[in-house]
Amino acid sequence: MFVRNVAGTPGPPITVPTQIAKKPKYRAAWSRAGRLADQTWSFIAMATEESGDAKAEPALSSSTNRSQKASEKPDYALKFTLVGHTEAVSSVKFSPNGEWLASSSADKVIIIWGAYDGKYEKTLYGHNQEISDIDWSSDSSCLVSASDDKTLKIWDVRSGKCLKTLKGHSNYVFCCNFNPLSNLIISGSFDESVKIWEVKTGKCLKTLSAHSDPVSAVHFNCNGSLIVSGSYDGVCRIWDAASGQCLKALVDEDNPPVSFVKFSPNGKYILIGTLDNTLKLWDYSRGRCLKTYTGHKNEKYCIFANFSVTGGKWIVSGSEDNLVYIWNLQTKEIVQKLQGHTDVVISAACHPTENIIASAALGNDKTIKLWMSNY
Amino acid sequence: MAHRGAERDFQTSARRMGTSLLFQLSVHERELDLVFLDHSYAKPWSAHPDASSARPTRTLFVTPRRQHESTIESDVPIDVETVTSTPVPLYDNQKARSVMNECERHVIFARTDADAPPPPEDWEEHVNRTGWTVAQNKLFNKTLKALQSDRLARLANEGACNEPVLRRVAVDKCARRVRQALASVSWDTKLTQWLHTTLVETLSLPMLAAYLDALQTLKGKIPTLIDRMLVSSNTKTGAAGAEALSLLLKRPWDPAVGVLSHNKPSKLPGSPLILVASSGPSSSVFPTSRRHRFWQSQLSCLGKVIPVATHLLSSGSGVGVLQCLEHMIGAVRSKVLEIHSHFPHKPVILIGWNTGALVACHVSVMEYVTAAVCLGFPLLTVDGPRGDVDDPLLDMKTPVLFVIGQNSLQCHPEAMEDFREKIRAENSLVVVGGADDNLRISKAKKKSEGLTQSMVDRCIQDEIVDFLTGVLTRSEGHVGTEPRDQDAEKKKKARDMARRDLAFEVPERGSRPASPAARLPASPSGSEDLSSVSSSPTSSPKTKVTTVASAQKSSQVGSAQLLKRHVQRTEAVLTHKQAQAQFAAFLKQNVLVRKALPPGTSSCLFEHVEEAEKEDLRAQLKRQQPPSPLPGSKAPKRPKIKVALVAQGDPAGGPSQGGAPEAAGGRPVTMTLGQASAGAKELTGLLTTSKPSASEGGVSTGPAPSVVPSSAAPSGLHTLQNRLVATSPGSSLPGGPPSAVRPLDCVQGEVEGAASASSLLQGLSFSLQDISSKTSGLPANPSPGPAPQATSVKLPTPMQSLGAITTGTSTLVRTIPVATTLSSLGAGPGGKPTAIHQLLTNGGLAKLAGSLPGLAQISNQASGLKVPTTITLTLRGQPSRITTLSPMGTGAGLCEEPTSQALPSSSQRLPPAP
Repeated sequence: MFVRNVAGTPGPPITVPTQIAKKPKYRAAWSRAGRLADQTWSFIAMATEESGDAKAEPALSSSTNRSQKASEKPDYALKFTLVGHTEAVSSVKFSPNGEWLASSSADKVIIIWGAYDGKYEKTLYGHNQEISDIDWSSDSSCLVSASDDKTLKIWDVRSGKCLKTLKGHSNYVFCCNFNPLSNLIISGSFDESVKIWEVKTGKCLKTLSAHSDPVSAVHFNCNGSLIVSGSYDGVCRIWDAASGQCLKALVDEDNPPVSFVKFSPNGKYILIGTLDNTLKLWDYSRGRCLKTYTGHKNEKYCIFANFSVTGGKWIVSGSEDNLVYIWNLQTKEIVQKLQGHTDVVISAACHPTENIIASAALGNDKTIKLWMSNY
Repeated sequence: MAHRGAERDFQTSARRMGTSLLFQLSVHERELDLVFLDHSYAKPWSAHPDASSARPTRTLFVTPRRQHESTIESDVPIDVETVTSTPVPLYDNQKARSVMNECERHVIFARTDADAPPPPEDWEEHVNRTGWTVAQNKLFNKTLKALQSDRLARLANEGACNEPVLRRVAVDKCARRVRQALASVSWDTKLTQWLHTTLVETLSLPMLAAYLDALQTLKGKIPTLIDRMLVSSNTKTGAAGAEALSLLLKRPWDPAVGVLSHNKPSKLPGSPLILVASSGPSSSVFPTSRRHRFWQSQLSCLGKVIPVATHLLSSGSGVGVLQCLEHMIGAVRSKVLEIHSHFPHKPVILIGWNTGALVACHVSVMEYVTAAVCLGFPLLTVDGPRGDVDDPLLDMKTPVLFVIGQNSLQCHPEAMEDFREKIRAENSLVVVGGADDNLRISKAKKKSEGLTQSMVDRCIQDEIVDFLTGVLTRSEGHVGTEPRDQDAEKKKKARDMARRDLAFEVPERGSRPASPAARLPASPSGSEDLSSVSSSPTSSPKTKVTTVASAQKSSQVGSAQLLKRHVQRTEAVLTHKQAQAQFAAFLKQNVLVRKALPPGTSSCLFEHVEEAEKEDLRAQLKRQQPPSPLPGSKAPKRPKIKVALVAQGDPAGGPSQGGAPEAAGGRPVTMTLGQASAGAKELTGLLTTSKPSASEGGVSTGPAPSVVPSSAAPSGLHTLQNRLVATSPGSSLPGGPPSAVRPLDCVQGEVEGAASASSLLQGLSFSLQDISSKTSGLPANPSPGPAPQATSVKLPTPMQSLGAITTGTSTLVRTIPVATTLSSLGAGPGGKPTAIHQLLTNGGLAKLAGSLPGLAQISNQASGLKVPTTITLTLRGQPSRITTLSPMGTGAGLCEEPTSQALPSSSQRLPPAP
């Protein structure tokens, strides 16, 4: 299988500085962004291209059973490895227009890359602590970043300037999200609160305090009317964005800490990751779990997962065994595992229109890899 | 009976499917209608086998219970991509969005210093709180929090498909919180004024807009408190600013404004009298709820509404509940009897809310009435549900409609079904989803279904109309053959037939004869806002109550007597039928005018009048008058005009007396032509007996005495309202062909010399939201002859100063008929004309202009004028006229506006000013 092929390809050919990999000290067991000891060397961010294209071709050419096969399995292959961050990468996100890939890291900077060629574009400096999460505005012109310095920053991507600094959280800000209209930002923090901010003024309009442990993920649904938040207390809450009222709380039986939560693209379902190596798809309106995806390893970090809808319908997630896992959304079976990272794959993102996956790994690796598939 | 019922079902269903405007709006049991359409003998699934008199329950906005699929197989494909398409809002989204942002557009008017730069986005950090007391801090913080929540809601709802409804809900919530905050300081005048001033000074513009929205909402609910709160800032901003602000706050916006005005309720056939039984003794301390008053005005679109109030002697002390109830029932009963004796042919319908519904039922057992409608029927009592064997209600034989809320505490749909089985009378049930005892739907319901209370109310009203139409059309047949209808029976029948045909064959509501009452403004946030009443014909509760009381008292005054007198005076012979029609029309008109000016404005208007005396402006509004009205009428310098009139109903016949009185008076001040005198008779009999002098004399004393004599038509009935508005249904036109009863349009005009444009704004504001442009098929008939639908308004303008343009558009304007004549727009000393123009052009007029092409011109004109200008807007249900009185000199030239040329309404042309 292609999984194997990919696994067989040699690692990124760039010269990775011989790094004395220190054992990362994480600020918390669930932290996705490792806090590394100061490392002072810098080097030029760059992408290396894989030479494995040819391998993917044969699969394409096999004609008849291809279509059927396509519906069952993706054939993601490593295309680029983006090197540039000097610390563990914490999050990667494609811009909604498909042009860019942004990555945040424990090295306090955000790097913008070309989404298709992995070309280094620019670096955004400003935070003075590790950055845990970033998100694009709908028009792809702005970024918001959540940092351990207890602030969020709104960035103008073109100019690379910080437009606003959102202050108000009393502990690390761990996750953030723009609403579809991009006039609001939500953020979740270690201070156990979720805050809603007005983008234009940078003011906090509402603080939702209903979690009793750090908030690990927040997300708006597709029309911006609902917010879902997940927390270490094991509860997922659905909020009315307009009033800040809690509409629903989803709790799983044995109440494992929620490490990730996200609405499906149409807002009808919620994908919930928990620290018991499980991803579940919930129909939140009925409060029932529809699908369970297992096989990967996730007990320690808040690992991003995603819906891949550009080709086949997949669920894509990183894993603590250094692989990227891809499940068939309907059948729940693992259809591909992407091998290549040398540390925990903390984040996996799917391109909005093309079959591209970006994955990022923690401090032993510090790279971002772009994978492409025909399906 | 059963057969007849089925026939009716068929008819009703067919009509409903095709026409009911808001039908599509509700989650209706459409299958019910479909079933009826299938075969004449088809029965809906919900038809009860035993209780043949209980018609199948209808539901409004009841969300069907979700079918719980027992098994969700795990292999059902899950679609994570497809977004369920959101239903298109049922109101005019564009218009709704425009009114929704009114406050944002005009926020600048609230600023005390418009020139100063608005506070920055981080205004919060710049607020200087030094010197604030604890109470002030607390109040400020609470208000701020409410505003911030509102801001969040605005941002979150932005772009949503039903944003207007969501915004409305959010604003209502914000208003409630602000009100709570203010109530927490007991509305301390100093504190509230301080708060207002502080907020206006410090808030950023978006926040200030949110604050104004909240104020606007509260103003509709607690006008006096809000007025008191605004006093101090008004003195600072100056008159114009204050006026603009008060105009802005005048009436809360309603997302459904377009739909409701587009779709007017139709009159019931047979011109029934609707008796509204009160649900308790009336008391000055506890006035009728806004909601009930609102509904009274709504019902008046269907027919003549007569509220029955019960007054307790000695303020109710020592009166037991039973006694009180008996008293209430007695009052209604005697009223029914009285009406029977006065108008033996008119169907009587009893309507009541809650306890009033019970009273209505009880009375229907004792007296003959055509139908009863029970709104929010209280089925449950302390002794359990009604319907025991000894319950007198079970003996009802009158067709009855129950309307209950799904979440009602006093009733339960299922218990209601049991009850209905036992009733012998034909009965129907309408269940309003998510509604309480007063048929108000919950906020969640509003949000989830994109509804407003006004839409729900209209749907309920449609259900009532459906029910009553069925009952009335049937009962008319009976009544017609009954011996007691001897007189005019034939004519009546003929007319009824015609009407029925109209109802069924012209199903399109929009094309039915419009009643002025239909121009009810949608009530903004729930139907309770009194403000919305401003445009409704019969909503002034006080007036009504007094009227009724007086009617009761004076029943001994024979109406026939009065009739005679009138007839003599007018020398017009009218058929009984016409009289009836006109009677109804007159009532409406009368009330309309009365309300055209909000009470609060009267004094200032009066001042304007005095100033105006120095001017030479006059406007005259006449109806159906030959264009040569004022040959002899020289414009006196003194008289200021107050105006006007209204009336329209039956097409008046030709060149009528209109001109004559005027000529006689020598001063063309106020001319009203009107309805038949016979109408007046009925009016007197029923309503104004207590003030016979007024009706007979035709003139009620107004503050501007000069007006009165001049306007006295031979048989005119003139009422000066608010010292400014004279309503005078005057001389009747003999021989006018009977037509459907058409409520009148009311034209009100005022002439002011003062600089402020407030009255213009007022006039506009009444109408802005309610105007819809729709081409009406009604021909405007220029000829004096019987023109069924044509209404003519004349604006003979005072020669020296004004040119008049009447645009007889075929635009159908559903508005409160209001004509405002304004003089000196923009010329005033104290005002801020520019600001006001801006308001006009940006907001109000722009809206108007959308539907009335001619108006934009007017506004442009107006804004450029430095000389006294008069603008008269006449907005009517039928062909509308827009009249501009231009500054002197322009006069006649303006008569031929392109718009007017395009329109078929030659009848409305004004004579060029000499």
